[in-house]
Amino acid sequence: MKTFLRIVAGLVVLGVVALLAFIFVPVQTTKPTEDLADDWKPAEGQGEYVMYASDCAACHTGKDGDFAGGVAIDSPMGAIWASNITPDKETGIGNWTLDQFRAALYDGIDDEGAHLYPAMPYENFRKLSEQDVRALYDYFMNDVAPVHNEVQKTELSFPFNLRFGIRAWNWLALTGDAGFDPTQAADIQNRGQYLVEGPGHCAACHSPRTAFMTQDGTTAGDKNFLAGGEIDGWLAPTLRGEDSAPQKWSVEDTATYLATGRNNHSTANGEMGLVVEHSLQHLTDQDNLAIAAFLKGIDGADVTVPEDFASLADAPLALEEDAPDAVPTETEKMLSEATDLSEGARLYLDNCSACHFVTGNGAPQIFPSLAGNTLVTADQTEPLISIILHGADVPSTQKRPMHLVMQGYADRLSDQEIAELASFVRSGWGNDAAPVTAADVKAVRDAD
Amino acid sequence: MARQEKKKDVVIVGLGWTGSIIGMELAQEGLEIVALERGPEQNTVPTFKYPQMIDELKYGVRFGLMQKPRNSTLTIRRTQAETALPYRSLGSFLPGDGVGGAGTHWNGQNWRPQLPEYKLRSYVEERWGAGIIPENMTLMDYPFSYDEMEPFFDRFERVAGISGKAGNINGDIIEGGNPFEAPRSRDYPMPPMPHTWDGEKFLNTTKAMGYHPFPSPGGIASTSYVNEYGMQMGPCNHCGFCERYGCYQYSKSSPQTSILDALRRMPNFSYRTGAEALRVEMAADGKTATGVTYFDEAAQEEVFQPADLVILAAYSLHNAHLMLVSGIGQPYDAVTGEGVTGKNYAYQITGGYSLHFKDESFNPFVGSGANGITLDDFSISQIDFEREGFIGGAYWRAGQTNGQPIRSMSLPAGTPSWGAGWKEAVGEWYGHAMGISAHGSHMAYKTNYLDLDPTYKDRHGRPLMRMTFNWQPNELRMNAFMERKIGEVVEQMAPDLSNPSFKKDGAQYDVRPYQTTHNVGGTIMGENATEGPLNRYSQAWTQHNVFVMGAGNFVQNTQYNPTGLVGGLAYWTAHAIRTQYLSNPRPLV
Amino acid sequence: MTDLPGLPSRRSFLKATAAGAALSGLAVSAKAQSTPPPVPLHEYEPEYFQPEEWQFILAAVSRLIPSEGEGPGAIDARVPVFIDRQMLDTYGTASDWYMEGPHDPAADPLLGWQSPLTPAEIYRQAIPVFNAWCKDTYDAEFADLGDDDQDAALTSLQKGEVGLRAELRDFFTILLSNTKEGYFADPMYGGNHGMQAWLYIGFPGARANYKEWVERYNVEYPLGPVSIKGERA
Repeated sequence: MKTFLRIVAGLVVLGVVALLAFIFVPVQTTKPTEDLADDWKPAEGQGEYVMYASDCAACHTGKDGDFAGGVAIDSPMGAIWASNITPDKETGIGNWTLDQFRAALYDGIDDEGAHLYPAMPYENFRKLSEQDVRALYDYFMNDVAPVHNEVQKTELSFPFNLRFGIRAWNWLALTGDAGFDPTQAADIQNRGQYLVEGPGHCAACHSPRTAFMTQDGTTAGDKNFLAGGEIDGWLAPTLRGEDSAPQKWSVEDTATYLATGRNNHSTANGEMGLVVEHSLQHLTDQDNLAIAAFLKGIDGADVTVPEDFASLADAPLALEEDAPDAVPTETEKMLSEATDLSEGARLYLDNCSACHFVTGNGAPQIFPSLAGNTLVTADQTEPLISIILHGADVPSTQKRPMHLVMQGYADRLSDQEIAELASFVRSGWGNDAAPVTAADVKAVRDAD
Repeated sequence: MARQEKKKDVVIVGLGWTGSIIGMELAQEGLEIVALERGPEQNTVPTFKYPQMIDELKYGVRFGLMQKPRNSTLTIRRTQAETALPYRSLGSFLPGDGVGGAGTHWNGQNWRPQLPEYKLRSYVEERWGAGIIPENMTLMDYPFSYDEMEPFFDRFERVAGISGKAGNINGDIIEGGNPFEAPRSRDYPMPPMPHTWDGEKFLNTTKAMGYHPFPSPGGIASTSYVNEYGMQMGPCNHCGFCERYGCYQYSKSSPQTSILDALRRMPNFSYRTGAEALRVEMAADGKTATGVTYFDEAAQEEVFQPADLVILAAYSLHNAHLMLVSGIGQPYDAVTGEGVTGKNYAYQITGGYSLHFKDESFNPFVGSGANGITLDDFSISQIDFEREGFIGGAYWRAGQTNGQPIRSMSLPAGTPSWGAGWKEAVGEWYGHAMGISAHGSHMAYKTNYLDLDPTYKDRHGRPLMRMTFNWQPNELRMNAFMERKIGEVVEQMAPDLSNPSFKKDGAQYDVRPYQTTHNVGGTIMGENATEGPLNRYSQAWTQHNVFVMGAGNFVQNTQYNPTGLVGGLAYWTAHAIRTQYLSNPRPLV
Repeated sequence: MTDLPGLPSRRSFLKATAAGAALSGLAVSAKAQSTPPPVPLHEYEPEYFQPEEWQFILAAVSRLIPSEGEGPGAIDARVPVFIDRQMLDTYGTASDWYMEGPHDPAADPLLGWQSPLTPAEIYRQAIPVFNAWCKDTYDAEFADLGDDDQDAALTSLQKGEVGLRAELRDFFTILLSNTKEGYFADPMYGGNHGMQAWLYIGFPGARANYKEWVERYNVEYPLGPVSIKGERA
């Protein structure tokens, strides 16, 4: 969401003067990608499902009511306020036509022809099928309760208040036609590709940004598609390449992570935790498997898709560690002996090994592994420091209802101690990342 | 005039283990349910979070998670001749408080009673004749069989997440498990926990003596675990802060780890904290309940919650109190033997040895509530009651649960209680001692019971409940037997020093030292309305829309910790309500 | 240490001072932004106890857990501070307990606490009675007695021989319990200063995770304690 800040910054590069050239050219909107009969009706629940898959609530639901907008996205130029998308006729989208609704999704243009801020991921939503667009429209018009909520007008300082400038940006960002082009080996992978490229708008965070802050890769064929980005100061890790989670994990593990926010290796915290909470946990098992299968095969790997995952079938699950008898690492041996400890190692035993254990492996589905964890070893250390200071949590989900919480250590550990500790976990069990300084910790502590 | 809430299908009093279980089971039926919990909200984080939970003074010594006697207590006397006095500060037993109840601060020891324990009276009469039953003992059969209960024990073990090793699966004896357990349909859902050095020593010695030691089963996760509700546990790290503490690491079975977050997702279930049930209200004819009046702590007022179905799922003693103040079942009269509510209160008898080995390191702070090795060679199924002169049995166990220094400092007999000698001893012996304990059955007696106190009142003006309870010769004889028998094991283990701690002949109940929170009976089940206030489905004979959960339903105490039977009974009762009662509300027997 | 005639009550303070000085060199790693070291015990101003009571507490705990020999004494561990703070807390005020009458303080002790008084009130009322008994018996208040007489007086107190009325009969029991609590509780309660008592016996404090130690049989655990607030020793 806050990537938008950088998008706005990218606009500067285009220059205000160039933008003026576009002012008087009429705005074009994209046509439907499929001709559906006027009386076409979505299946029961389809619209709600597309809403979940598109994570509309992430930005549009706040304290003012479901989809009533009013959620502020802070920026140095001022707050950007998410709009009211309930069918309220005065303050929401109750008067929008289907074409206007589609234009918002595909082109980032509102009912008055004005450009939306690209916090709205229309770079991705333009891949939605016409059926899903119609279903979504039907859902918002008929199933969502209207909420009268006049959302505060977004007023950014000059030159960012010139919304037509976004048009120029759109010319760079909205490459290619609307609609979705399946390119995968199997139907289930194509379904996954659709969910990832389209409604899931995964590239909004997981693709890098170009110099103009457009998504550098919006479809499977793009070289940098899902090659790693950043969201709100947090690393959105790469989802491709041999060290990426979808490649290291089984399809089942990845699907479990998506649906429950946890698997045998890791947990979803921060922004990804919210995506799991608001969106992915509501998808069908088949769709989460489809996403996992698509990611697994994105670079051409063979994909075997299991029947199901995170099963709550008859037998409860006692989950042993993957390789409990593996040869212990030097770090594990040192921590187990507990006789000759660096300050960081001592702090680890005093504060962390309770759950993450001397193995650094944590425990399946509940305590994430620190060994080989991209959040732990990322170049950006703010998320790791933030978690040590303030803790983290994994949301309650349908298949794994437990709200898992790690407590923070801001009261127990000094900046220097956290630096020692973070440096230790970044270098233990084969991790090989640069140390953290007390100043790094102080910066994160002071920012909160 | 009490405020009145909107009517619900079901009101549940208490949100501990049984309230959570029945809440989930009935929520799955689509019923509108509200649970009333007198204590505060409690979650793993923040309530039990590390490191604040690791505070022996606050939780171990000052009972931070327990009910405050100021808010709720009872009076106690040993005999009818005595004047009962209030249990003013906690000692002998520790009722829990808050969401999760005692399920948050237990040790996790989880058992199924042995086969003879379900029909104990019949067992005794068939083997030895009624003549060996002491005159004062009100020995009873449970109104259900083990075979009927087995699926529900199994269900609870899988929901709670129990680690252990089976010793008898469908009659096949499994090496390394408990050969004397009642046959189970399948193994425990998690492998047994590892055990500490004290357990290993006990295991080696008793095995060599021909006994049958096995790893103690318990609701302590030996692996990651996911149950039928998708709820989770993480593997225990043997932190040594189990009993009296909430688990900071999702490792101890509790309503929090097993049920609550799943239950909170049910839109038709809600609960209120700070809501203390004062009485069950009755219809004009007294034949059904109309709901529960409770005290709303935040609003400081009484509230009536109407409901079609009333479930009492508070602690056993509080269920009994509510039934007594609400007129559910005729109060038991110890003089005439008439009446049923308050009858057959029973407890647990325990004893043990401490063994000191000056050259061995036990690291006593490494432990969990159900750590260790148990043996059942002197259990209720293995004792010749006539020959030994008592009815009952005990399991023995060695397994350190904590090394917290204020309350778990094991010093040799004769050590001064203060001064230079004490200080020297704590330095010398901490870390070099272990224990072996006997955990014994407790029968019910005409003279051990619960009724209402004539003098003392609670803060709402209700009479306090009065407990009349004393040790009886049968249990003391059993304890003496266990002291002799464990003494033989101690001798084999050859510690530098050892001392027994068992109740002696003539021992009087002492409310001060902690003994056990296995207060059972008082709201017992019976084959008919003259045996106990509840029928075999835990349904009140007198008001068919009142069901009562918990260890109060035990007709006498088994030799084991009660939670396994409490959980099994909860699922058994829930099953009866779901399959028999909801479609046609009526007395089920 | 020998008491100076005429200045007997300074004795405990001197002990406290010595302990405070000894502790200043103790290797306790407190966190960088953490609290400054506490005031020396002899400068501590009790929140509950009055001067005569405080003298008694200092003297009594220094006999219950003396400083001589291996391991910290109660004074070194700042146990008096712990007890003082407990008096105003839920414990000292019995605010969690059922304190409604009628009371039968002379009831069989097995029936538990039956005094109408709170623990803090018992300290307040019992100390003068005990001091008066000491005066009758030894011609000096407790704090002014020599070690042997103090030990003998405490033994009499423990045996119930000093004429405390029934309401006060639990005085020695709570004094001894509170002393041991202050010795072994987490340092944040004022006692167990520098986690010395934990170091002495080998208790690792609030670390509370030992998965890799469960099956390491008969091997002494090597690592020192950590407190709730994160002090390490």
